[in-house]
Amino acid sequence: MIKLEHVSTPYPDFSIVFPNVVFPKNKVTFVTGRNGVGKTSLLKAIAKLIPYEGVIEYTGFATYHFQEPILFNRSVFDNIIYPLKIRKLAVSDYQDNLYAYAKILGIDQLLQRSAKELSSGEKMKVSMLRSILFSPTILLLDEPTTHLDLESIEQLTELIRVLKKDMTLIIVSHNKAFINSLQDFNYHLGGSHVYR
Amino acid sequence: MILEGVQQAFNLLFSLDREMYTIILLSLAISLLATISAGFLGIISGILISISSFRGKRFIKKCIFTLMGVPPVVLGLLVLLILAGPFSNLNLLFTRTAMYIAQTLLVYPIITGNIIISSEKTQQQILETATTLGASKKDKLILLLYETKPFILLSLILGFSRAISEVGAVMLVGGNIRGETRVMTTYIALNTSMGNYAASIAMGIILLFLAFLIHSLVSRFRGDFYD
Repeated sequence: MIKLEHVSTPYPDFSIVFPNVVFPKNKVTFVTGRNGVGKTSLLKAIAKLIPYEGVIEYTGFATYHFQEPILFNRSVFDNIIYPLKIRKLAVSDYQDNLYAYAKILGIDQLLQRSAKELSSGEKMKVSMLRSILFSPTILLLDEPTTHLDLESIEQLTELIRVLKKDMTLIIVSHNKAFINSLQDFNYHLGGSHVYR
Repeated sequence: MILEGVQQAFNLLFSLDREMYTIILLSLAISLLATISAGFLGIISGILISISSFRGKRFIKKCIFTLMGVPPVVLGLLVLLILAGPFSNLNLLFTRTAMYIAQTLLVYPIITGNIIISSEKTQQQILETATTLGASKKDKLILLLYETKPFILLSLILGFSRAISEVGAVMLVGGNIRGETRVMTTYIALNTSMGNYAASIAMGIILLFLAFLIHSLVSRFRGDFYD
């Protein structure tokens, strides 16, 4: 569960104020709203990537997945296991999940390739797998379908259904079919900007 | 005259003239040492400046960018005045050490500035990604050094190019003493002023060949991941 109370994200000329809300555990909540209302700011505040005022409460680790993900200059496999390495976790303990998730996403044949050789869609999938393999409790996805074709969106949908059993997911998306196939809750932002 | 000069140059190149090869080795040694020293300081300070937020950061960046274009002769004059003035008791003027100091000071802002310019945006994206994956400050620094390797190597190439092709500063602080502080560029300048074009062209060809060789070697390791 994630609880937001009187949260606002300050910028030099204005602040975005968010309504109080609770995101239920092990559910998929879609955050919707027009461009510029603060959807990405909300996810980044929850992931503590940007400063915010107010209270954001949750237990565990929240990982934010970028709309335009960056892969590191190494193989696909080494990219995926990077979070395990920095946590000094044994890769062998996560190997089953790694191959299972890679198969769902259709990237199991790419593991030994260099990350720089991948297409945008493949990079998105690899980055997704890197974000989930170490089992974060909260997954924040920012427009995850941006570079994906229809088949890939279906693969991602299947993966999210699997992840939902152990994770709380908050997703920003404008893709109606994707939203309809996964949505447990919807958090619509109307946009409340306070200018200085 | 140019063709005749080129022919004489090749004769000179293959005559195994001892003085010529001493000059080449000295040029390479001083330029490499200066690039390594400036590179060590420049990589650390360049990365620290670009990832840190502190008061006066913009001013420091402006100073570094200004120094990237400082005329070598002006820097040479400054080093000469310092070595002849407050540090005259060290007897460093007109020595190889003075040339190394001048070249290091010349190359440092080039390496630092280029690391700041070329990797600032990439660094920010890498750091944000590493943060979302739970990396500690130490993890991020290691990752950053690894991921900015192409930019670091590019900066080192630019620094070395500046060092090996520089003439004004080393002429002023080294004095172009035969067998002691004479390097390829000061050798070319001296021979050209004496009308000895063959020797100048020969050294010019070697200088170009060495620069080409070093750039080719480094670019093999640089890669173009973020291009």
